[in-house]
Amino acid sequence: MKPVAVTGLGVVSPFGAGVKAYWEGISGGVCAIRPITLIDTEGFRCRIGAEVPDSLGGSARRSRADRFALAAAREAIDDAGIGRAERGDTALIVGAVGGGMLEAEAWYWQRARGGAAPLPRALASCFPSSHVDVVGSVLGIGGPRETVVTACSSGAASLAMAADLVRDGVVPVALAGGVDALTRICFMGFNTLKLLDPAPCRPFDRDRRGMSIGEGAAFVVLEEVGHARARDARVYAELTGYGMSTDAFHVTSPHPEGEGMIRAMRAALAQAGITAASVGYANAHGTATPQNDRIEARALREVFGDGGLLVSSTKSMIGHTMAAAGTLEAVATVLALGHEVVPPTARLENTDPDIPFDCVPRVAREVAVEHAISNSFGFGGQNVTLVFRRVA
Amino acid sequence: MSGRRVAITGAGVVDGGHASGVLSRLLDETEARRLSHVCQMTVAAGRMALADAGLAGGTELALLIGTEFGDMVSTIRFVDDYLQRGIPGLSALRFPHTVMNTMAATAAIAVSAKDLSLTLNVPTVAGELAIARGAAAVRAGRIAACLAGGADEPPRLVLDTFREAGAGADVRGEGAGFVVLEPLDAARARGARILGEIVAEAWRALAVRPHGVGRATRSRAIAAALAGAGAEPAEIGLVYTSANGDGPREAWERALLDEALAPYRPPQRSLSLPAGRHSGLAARSVATAATEAGDGLALVHAVARGGNQVAIVVAGSRDRAA
Amino acid sequence: MEPKEVFDELKMILVTRLKFDPRRAVDLTLETTLPKGIESSIGLDSLDFIELSIAIEERFGIAMDESADLAPHFTSFDTLSRFIASRTAGA
Repeated sequence: MKPVAVTGLGVVSPFGAGVKAYWEGISGGVCAIRPITLIDTEGFRCRIGAEVPDSLGGSARRSRADRFALAAAREAIDDAGIGRAERGDTALIVGAVGGGMLEAEAWYWQRARGGAAPLPRALASCFPSSHVDVVGSVLGIGGPRETVVTACSSGAASLAMAADLVRDGVVPVALAGGVDALTRICFMGFNTLKLLDPAPCRPFDRDRRGMSIGEGAAFVVLEEVGHARARDARVYAELTGYGMSTDAFHVTSPHPEGEGMIRAMRAALAQAGITAASVGYANAHGTATPQNDRIEARALREVFGDGGLLVSSTKSMIGHTMAAAGTLEAVATVLALGHEVVPPTARLENTDPDIPFDCVPRVAREVAVEHAISNSFGFGGQNVTLVFRRVA
Repeated sequence: MSGRRVAITGAGVVDGGHASGVLSRLLDETEARRLSHVCQMTVAAGRMALADAGLAGGTELALLIGTEFGDMVSTIRFVDDYLQRGIPGLSALRFPHTVMNTMAATAAIAVSAKDLSLTLNVPTVAGELAIARGAAAVRAGRIAACLAGGADEPPRLVLDTFREAGAGADVRGEGAGFVVLEPLDAARARGARILGEIVAEAWRALAVRPHGVGRATRSRAIAAALAGAGAEPAEIGLVYTSANGDGPREAWERALLDEALAPYRPPQRSLSLPAGRHSGLAARSVATAATEAGDGLALVHAVARGGNQVAIVVAGSRDRAA
Repeated sequence: MEPKEVFDELKMILVTRLKFDPRRAVDLTLETTLPKGIESSIGLDSLDFIELSIAIEERFGIAMDESADLAPHFTSFDTLSRFIASRTAGA
């Protein structure tokens, strides 16, 4: 299938606002996971996460997640140089889970405890679909607008769906990304499932004990290649293929053989028209739960063999940013291709012997890679693999 | 539209007074025990639609679910458990229901839908959008077959809040519904009964503030759908709308349709239960439109506050000129 | 607490927290097995076991050691009742 050009990037991460801060953090192997301050964590087993530093600005009348989304989307579309006129024919696809739930929770907690709780504006925007309406109306996006929820792979699914619209000729340009702010529900739920490590997560380590949660947003501008060339746009990389599959196995556990992950990766390679051997880097889902990393490694091995594939997990530095993860990691993958630097897996001391890959421990690796993939898997066995190609 | 022709080969809707009987007949013990009400309706509607189409699950079956509220009812219960009983009250079984893709996750397991499964969240047009997305994916050859539709169980707390916030007066009920879509040639090859075709589909956003109703009446979604169908406004014999008790939104929808189809004014209908409309009704609109289109075409249309608009052109089962 | 009393409490948990039909709970015996996929089991999966562990910790006031392999104790109502009885006796 036809590739799609990546012509703009925007990020709000635990390293702060902007693509530059994000790349400096992840290429430097810096771990941004700290004690959580946004919500009350008293009594929970794990009390840490990767919060976005509170220096974003934006109207306090908007939800935290809407502010993340707006800042990242604006950076991406300005970076791509898509003007007001062209935005009328630009699509907007957002992967989201929590929506404005953080503010809705604050209201509900106060109400349940008998306090006077005036109805916050944010409550009407508590659903994931709020972000497209806010970003769309502020930035003047007039093409199709969609909100996709595939749990922890939502941010990757948004890119796949945007690529469909560009390839089908519905629009020449699409703004796609994922966003999530921390919520009490997410924090409490993962604690209840005992999937969180009380210390910062350690993907692929033999002593890993679970994930760390995080928050943020990332957007990319995807553009028809001819359209990008005609306006002489800067092209970061090309999205050459994607694969989406469903385990249909269990609501919270991946298929034990990674069957769905394997299908997503193979479908993505087929769509990109490349062989497994030509892929040099995999930005893994890499949550650091004992189960995910073992099964993902098994699936990677099934598809790519034991060869020289470099594998790293961005979550070792920014935690699992939920619906934002798929896009933040896609941006990491695109930047790795362009900078010819593969970001590391922070805090990795002893690679699990069950994981037969070079997981780029602690220090970034300078290496020119032609093709790279980014994996994202969500609750419900919702698997997405994206394939990117470096541009000369 | 270029690409493959898209056949509608099955439909299933669970709602209203019949829901409980259908659920007890179509769910197994674990599903009856573990799944929330909206997930149960989704699973049952998916099974009904697949049985209607005579199709089995597998790696070639995709799933697209539109929803306005997800499983907010379970989400509120999850929180209430904590607020009433503290940390030990938190339920591991309820937590997965707090993510909106829970209906897709549980239905995919129940019917073994192993290709992509997407949950699309949007007010009012969710079911229509999922069906339009599904049709576009079949047309482009990206998927071999799909269940597409929607599901909702609106929580009272949220409806009251919407009203107070001035986000519209739509009357919302509960239910789930799907159509089965597949390439027409594949459906014929397996001897499937063809209910009709989705001839074209388009979705766009109109320029409106969040939760607002717009003044603009020029509709790019309807224009794109008609162009995709290669059809003139005169050919649209019937329109299924999203009218549902929100006066300003309904007036806007009528104005959009009047301008897009001018000078014609085909009859407009809206499927809505006495208890209200839900995202699963889009499947019933599309299936009914196919039955009633006769030799002509029907338009299934929906527009939401905030500006999301979907237009689906549906034809009856009579073979149309390719 | 005696294993028999523990068993009665477990049946209660099955109905209130794991949402089993109360009529189903009446038929259970100590020999009934728990994990999905085993013959004549009540079909619990990983998520059910987490929920069951939380309920046991809450009801019996014991803490489950997450690093230990508890699976053998969760084989049947018999093994689970004995395990809980021994832990509550030691407390």
